[in-house]
Amino acid sequence: MSLKRIRLLIWKEFIQLRRDPLLIRLLLLMPVLQLILFGYVVAVDVRNLSTAVVDLDRTATSRSLESAFSGSGYFTVTRHVGSENDLRPLLDSGTVKVALVIPEGTQDRLTRGETAPIGIIVDGSDSQISAIGSGYAAQIVAQFNTERRDALGIQLAAPGIDARVRVMFNPTLDPINTMIPGLIAAIMMISLLAIMSQAVVKERESGTLEQMFVTPIKATEYLIGKLTPYAALATAQMLLVAAGGMLWFKVPFNGDFWVVLTGLALFMLTCLGLGLLVSLVSRTRHQAQQAVMFIMIPTMVLSGFIFPIQSMPAIIQPLTNLIPLTFALQVLRGAFVKGSGFEALAVPMLALVGFGVVIFGAAIVATRRRISE
Amino acid sequence: MSETVPEERWGAERSNESRRPAISVRGLTKTFGDFTAVDGIDFDVPRGEVFGFLGPNGSGKTTTIRMLTGTLRPNSGSADVLGEDVVRHPDRVQRRIGYMSQKFSLFEDMTVDENLKFYAGVYDLPAARFAAQRQYVLEMADLVGRENELTRDLSVGWRQRLALGAATIHEPELLFLDEPTSGVDPVARRQFWDLLYDLASRGVTLFVTTHYMDEAAHCNRLAFIYRGRIIAEGSPAEIRSDHMDQRIFAITTSRADPALQWLETAPGIDEAYLSGASLHAVVPADSSLSEAGLRDRLATAGFADAQVTEVDPTIEDVFVNLVSRQR
Repeated sequence: MSLKRIRLLIWKEFIQLRRDPLLIRLLLLMPVLQLILFGYVVAVDVRNLSTAVVDLDRTATSRSLESAFSGSGYFTVTRHVGSENDLRPLLDSGTVKVALVIPEGTQDRLTRGETAPIGIIVDGSDSQISAIGSGYAAQIVAQFNTERRDALGIQLAAPGIDARVRVMFNPTLDPINTMIPGLIAAIMMISLLAIMSQAVVKERESGTLEQMFVTPIKATEYLIGKLTPYAALATAQMLLVAAGGMLWFKVPFNGDFWVVLTGLALFMLTCLGLGLLVSLVSRTRHQAQQAVMFIMIPTMVLSGFIFPIQSMPAIIQPLTNLIPLTFALQVLRGAFVKGSGFEALAVPMLALVGFGVVIFGAAIVATRRRISE
Repeated sequence: MSETVPEERWGAERSNESRRPAISVRGLTKTFGDFTAVDGIDFDVPRGEVFGFLGPNGSGKTTTIRMLTGTLRPNSGSADVLGEDVVRHPDRVQRRIGYMSQKFSLFEDMTVDENLKFYAGVYDLPAARFAAQRQYVLEMADLVGRENELTRDLSVGWRQRLALGAATIHEPELLFLDEPTSGVDPVARRQFWDLLYDLASRGVTLFVTTHYMDEAAHCNRLAFIYRGRIIAEGSPAEIRSDHMDQRIFAITTSRADPALQWLETAPGIDEAYLSGASLHAVVPADSSLSEAGLRDRLATAGFADAQVTEVDPTIEDVFVNLVSRQR
């Protein structure tokens, strides 16, 4: 193995990267764009859910209940309507995501010590909004009950509506705190899979791969020369996302730097391996693109990156264990949000070791065999 | 050897090995699953020759080159290249050979200079030798002053010559050229062959595959490969005399298609096929058919405008003849 030739291959790779201005812009823009998308769009939606109120009670109690909702910051009351029938079109059109219905006689029932039912309608077409929205609503109602009881200073026979949502992590339910750590891993996967596989396939298409193996370049030298620049590139992108998330979106980092680094390094092996495998099975860049889509779509859907695994059907949930990103997310979110250490994250870490060894190992063996076949 | 002019360096360290062939192949076989791509071929390429490896697409030319350049392991047989066993020591061979494929294999998003620098680095050329070689290649490829242009912006002829320069930047003793002229216009092809002759005159052995039969005439020695087997080998003259015991008539007519159909079934004619703009009809060597006789028969068959000339067999005629015998 010649260090000189490896340096030469890396030099060549960076020159080629530099010659692709569109690619460089994409590489820089992608993390920024995703930060904005996942940072602002997701965060704003859940924070200011547009809400309609149907107040049929028109009492001090109903008014204070409404202000408990609007004062929470999660709900913004945008409409007042006279009857429940008027809600349907508003929900159908997406004008409001949540509706609060306070029936006539709510104050009277509470005064008599009875349970007072109120209606909270959440737009279920977006599972994210419905899950988080109903959780917030239940919390607000519970809090309202408690305050009222405390103010009266008496024990009431009926507790009112006792819907308490327990949130396992991210107690503020701020989605950006889990989104940014996930984005770091997802960005790496996209970069290494899509861009590296393209680079290898391009070399095969143009015949330069074939040419290089007639020269003294060894398969190992070629692999190191190919993997290093893209690993460096992915690292730069991850730093960009992490910096943007922590400085701009104030995502707290409660964890151990080494946990994050270990998790990312292990996941990087998997990504490099997948990128190589894609380039092995693809004869054209177009095929490589399709292969990357084939991997990325189930990864994005099943890993818990966008949709919480807990909200998936029980039959689907075991499948998420086949997705390497699932475990990378567990490590990163655990470290960022909960400050978990190596012990607490032993299972996902070991899973990442397993994926890394198997996928990266298989890719190296297959690539070497293909090259020297 | 580092400070001499390029012209003299080519061919250095060759004298002691000059009597051994550049390539010596025995029983070389490669199978892919059930398919035998190369089927126990034997041949020798003497040093300093232009060796033409001819055959239709898919006949095993590229597979043979890949085994000889150490990128593909044969199933059996031996291949000595420049005195080394290429199967066991591909690395010893690879620094002494050059390779150029029909794709020209340049990095298209790199400049002329960067491509040369890369390949020089791959072979670990010392700076002084690289400077001399770079100058030589730029002049040879007519690219002086265009060093900083991207190779994708060069037109085919220049790209082809630059690829040849990149493939020979380390002054290989043996150069493999896999269909180096496919897709190149005739003028550029001629210029390219001039460059190959130039290399050959410095003692570089050239192993050239092509399916252009007219290029066979450029070679000192030829081997025909067909379905993985070598079906003829020798100098162009030898091949013509050894394998061609038939006579050829060239026929031109305005109605070539029906004439060809008629000739294919006509008694006394072994073979008929299109060759360039005319039809070639092959008859046995002892046939009594004359130009006039054939013209009369064609006229009777309805091809009144047919012109018939007896011609010497070309390499292509030999090849068609050989292939038809194999079938």
